[in-house]
Amino acid sequence: MRRLRSMIPALIPLVVVTAAAELAVRYGLVKSYLVPAPSSVLRAMIESREELLGALLTTSASALAGFVLSTVMGIAIAVFLSSSRAIQRAFYPYAVFFQTVPIIAIAPLLVIWFGYGMRTVVASAFVVSIFPVIANTLSGILSTEPALRDLFRLYGASTPVTLWKLRFPAALPQILTGLRVASGLAVIGAIVGEFIGGQGLGSVIDVARTQQRVDKVFAAVLLASVLGLALFGLINLLSYVTLRRWHASEQL
Amino acid sequence: MNRRNFILTGSAALLAACRKSSRQIRLALNWKPDPQFGGFYAAPYQAHGLDVEILPGGAGTPTIQMVGAGSAEFGVVSADELVVARSRGNDVVALFAVFQNNPQGIMVHASRKLTSLGDLFKSGGTLALQRGLPYARLLEKKYGFDKVKIVPSPGGDISAFLADNNFAQQCFIMSEPLTARHKGADVQVFPVSDAGYNPYTTVLTTSGDFLRQDPERSKAMVAAVREGWRAYLDDPKPTNQRMNQLNPSMAPEVFAEVAGAQKPLIETAETRRNGLGSMTKERWEMLIAQLKDLGDIQKAPGADECFRNL
Repeated sequence: MRRLRSMIPALIPLVVVTAAAELAVRYGLVKSYLVPAPSSVLRAMIESREELLGALLTTSASALAGFVLSTVMGIAIAVFLSSSRAIQRAFYPYAVFFQTVPIIAIAPLLVIWFGYGMRTVVASAFVVSIFPVIANTLSGILSTEPALRDLFRLYGASTPVTLWKLRFPAALPQILTGLRVASGLAVIGAIVGEFIGGQGLGSVIDVARTQQRVDKVFAAVLLASVLGLALFGLINLLSYVTLRRWHASEQL
Repeated sequence: MNRRNFILTGSAALLAACRKSSRQIRLALNWKPDPQFGGFYAAPYQAHGLDVEILPGGAGTPTIQMVGAGSAEFGVVSADELVVARSRGNDVVALFAVFQNNPQGIMVHASRKLTSLGDLFKSGGTLALQRGLPYARLLEKKYGFDKVKIVPSPGGDISAFLADNNFAQQCFIMSEPLTARHKGADVQVFPVSDAGYNPYTTVLTTSGDFLRQDPERSKAMVAAVREGWRAYLDDPKPTNQRMNQLNPSMAPEVFAEVAGAQKPLIETAETRRNGLGSMTKERWEMLIAQLKDLGDIQKAPGADECFRNL
C-alpha cells in the first residue's frame, strides 16, 4: 500500500501532460501532424500491437545483449585500468574515445563489419553504453577508504583478495550508478543501430516517420522508454538486493 | 544605461529585427545543396521583389511538416509525400514540379546481368530500401520480397554496395550511380517508373494559408523559380560553383555531370508546351489512386486541391 501511495507523485505529471496534449490537439491549438493526440497514439498501439510487440522484443534482446556486454567488458576494463597508474595513463584516454564516438556516423561502418541484423544493433548498443560503466567502476575502485586498504595490507591480503573482498564491494554503489546510466544509453544505442541495421523499434520508427505517421512514431518511442524503464528498474532491484544491508542509499 | 533603458532599447531593436525579417521568405529543401535544387539557387528572387533564404535539409528533415506549420513559407517535397500529408490534415499545395519524371530507381551491379526490376526480385541478394516509401510497397505488391533480403537504405552512402556484388540499393538515378561509377563499379539502373510509379518530385510547395494570404508573393515565387530553372538548364556552371561552396563534399565534376543527366527528367515534351514545372490533374489523380490502393492514405484528397499551376 505504501509503495502504491509513493507512486502517486509520479502519476500526477503523467495525467496532467496527457490530458493537456489531448485537449490541445482536440481544440486545434496544436496540429495533429506535429504532435499526435495521446488517444491516437493509443489507437496506433492497439492497431499495430503485433508488429510493435514483436519489434519491442527484438529491440529488448539487442539492448539487453549490448548492455550485458558493456557491463562485463566495462567492469573488466576498469579493473584492468585500476591496476596501476601507468596503465591508467596509457589506456584511459582511449576509453574516453567510446564516449565521443558519434554513433550515427559510424553506424554504416558497423553494418559493413557485422552485417545487417542483430550483431550490428548489439554493437551499437555496446559502444554507446560502455563508457559510463568504465568511468564509474574505475572511480569507485580507486576511492576505497585508505584506512580499510591499510587494514587489508596489514593482514597481508593479496591484491586479488583485496580487490574481491574490499575494493569491488566498496565500489558497488558507483558501479550501479554507472549501470543505471548505461541502461538508458543501451536502449538508445540499439534503436540507432536498428535505423541502419534494420529490425525492431528503430525500423518501425523509421518506416512510420517516412509515412508521416506521427502517432505510430510516438507509440514506438513510448515502448522504447518502457524498455528503458524496465532495465532501470532491474538495476534498482539489483541495487536494493546488494546494498540494502550496508549502504545509506538503500536504507531510507 | 540603466536596466529599464536597456530593456527598452533591447526590445525596440528586437522588434525592428523581427519586422525586417517578416518580409523574408524561407525555402526549406529536403537535402543538401546539389543539382536537383539548381534552379532554386539560380532563381532571381530579388528581381521579383522577394527576399528568400534557402534552408538546406538532410536525412529526415520534416520539410512538409515545416511548411504546414509555417516555420518555412515554401518547401521542396515529393508529390506522394504531399498527398499523404493532405490526407492527414496538413494543408499544403504544390506549385511547381521540377522533376516531371520520377528520378528514383534501384541500382545493381551490371555483372549480375539482370534485365528488369522483376528479374532483380527473382534473383535474390540484398536490397537496401526505405520501406516506408510508397514505391517500396508497390514493389512488394508487384514482385514480392520473399527472395530478396530487404535492409534499410543507407542514404547516399554506397560503401555496402561497393563491397558486395549482390547488393542493390535505392537511388536517385542521376546521383548514386554516378558516384559508384566514379569509384569503379559497373552499375546498372532500373527506374522505379518502370514499375508504373511516377509521381512528380522535387516539388515547390507552400501552405494553403500562405497561398490564400499572399497570392502575389506565391506567384512571384513560382515565376522566379521558373526563370531560375530555365537559367540552370541552359548554363548550370555558375550556380554549381555556388552550390559547391555550400556543399563541398560533392566533387565539382559530379555537379556538372548530374546537372546534365537530370535534364531529360525536368524538361519534357509536356513542359515545352505548358512551361517548366507545370502539372496536370491526370497525373495527380493517378498518384492519389495508387496511394489509396497501396493503403498509404485512408481518405483520398481531391486532385484539384493538391496543386496549383500559377
